[in-house]
Amino acid sequence: MLATTLYEDGDHRWIMFGRDPNKTEGIIDTNQYLIQSGNQAILLDPGGIELFAPMLSAVLKFVPAEKITHLFASHQDPDIISSLGLWDQALPNAKLYSPWLWESFIRHFGMERIEYCAIPDEGMTINLGRIQLQFIPAHYLHSSGNFHVYDPKAGILMSGDVGAALEATDAPIWVDNMASHTPKMKKFHQRWMPSNEAKLDWIRRVRQLNINIMAPQHGRLFQPPYVNEFLNWFEELPVGIAIR
Amino acid sequence: MATPIFVTAASIAAELHQAMLEAKGLALTAKNARALAVRAGSKTVGFKAITHFIDELASDIIRQSQYINGVSEHLSQHAVALWRATMAADKFEWISGQHSTNLDSLQVAMKKSYESREVLSAQLSRGLRELEQQLEEGDKHIRTANLIATSSKVEAASAGDFRNQLEVIAQNITETADKIRAHLSRARNLLGQRQKHN
Repeated sequence: MLATTLYEDGDHRWIMFGRDPNKTEGIIDTNQYLIQSGNQAILLDPGGIELFAPMLSAVLKFVPAEKITHLFASHQDPDIISSLGLWDQALPNAKLYSPWLWESFIRHFGMERIEYCAIPDEGMTINLGRIQLQFIPAHYLHSSGNFHVYDPKAGILMSGDVGAALEATDAPIWVDNMASHTPKMKKFHQRWMPSNEAKLDWIRRVRQLNINIMAPQHGRLFQPPYVNEFLNWFEELPVGIAIR
Repeated sequence: MATPIFVTAASIAAELHQAMLEAKGLALTAKNARALAVRAGSKTVGFKAITHFIDELASDIIRQSQYINGVSEHLSQHAVALWRATMAADKFEWISGQHSTNLDSLQVAMKKSYESREVLSAQLSRGLRELEQQLEEGDKHIRTANLIATSSKVEAASAGDFRNQLEVIAQNITETADKIRAHLSRARNLLGQRQKHN
């Protein structure tokens, strides 16, 4: 499991985990994120059950287990949070922030010790160490109850499946050419995102944020000017195409 | 690869559920037999007495099947919890072999998963022993059912005009007892295979 520091300012940092060369064949490659501030840390979309051991091993290289106080699951998919039953054994005192809509479903992954903190539809802000994190609504992108995470101090938006691309596990981390990158995103967004209305609403709100890095759950990350180029491209892209 | 114990326990529970359904059928047979014996009068006094035993036997089998079913289901749940604790312990051990950074911070979770693995393992062993004892008890009921079936045939032979109907009932008892025996036998085989792998 490769780890890349995306941002570091004192004890406030963002680490991305992914591009695992030992990943089991046939499962989609995912990006996991750790945000640390002071004595607290949150894991964003910690991944599937197959990924638990390499993920925990990689995370421990940066923070001890007792400092991982929060987990976040943007939605209910198995590549997002099917490892919950094992995190439940490793981090018995942690809190899981996830959409209220999915609570009774996500609990099926096994959760006896971790506390489920339901995020309301309108989103919420939490304190993590010395920083604040915003859970930004991203409903229907792609899941019917879905959130992204925005860190205003670092200017990083973890954008879940928005901006995701399916490509090789050894692909570079950063988008460096939109013309060559958009074909890798097009079908994913058109098929997985069901609502043009939801898409436009999300774009309108995200344009108001100050984004230095847009970090999706699959594929490469975006920095300016590619963040804006992505938003323009996404705005024009018709989604929900399977019924046509 | 050995069948996971939670699958074995769930399969045993399913066999016992089927045995219980058969026993409910047996209880119905007992009621029919009693009604017939009342209509037949003095020629079927012996058969009428037997119907009480059939009824009692059916109740015993139903009660015991429900109990074993509960034991099996608990066993299956314990086995799933044990599997999860073992999986977590295995993952923690794998991580210990990778590096030692911040491993101390995992000690409490590791200790808890090892402890729960031991506790659940002991519960599982106790549950398996109880299951074995209960299935042996079930065999006793089947022996009783066979005796009742034989007596029913003998009594049916002397029931005059009601002979044919009572023979059908006696045959029904024999067939139901055979079905219950088959379910219990499959449950014991499942348990036996499990213990062979341990």
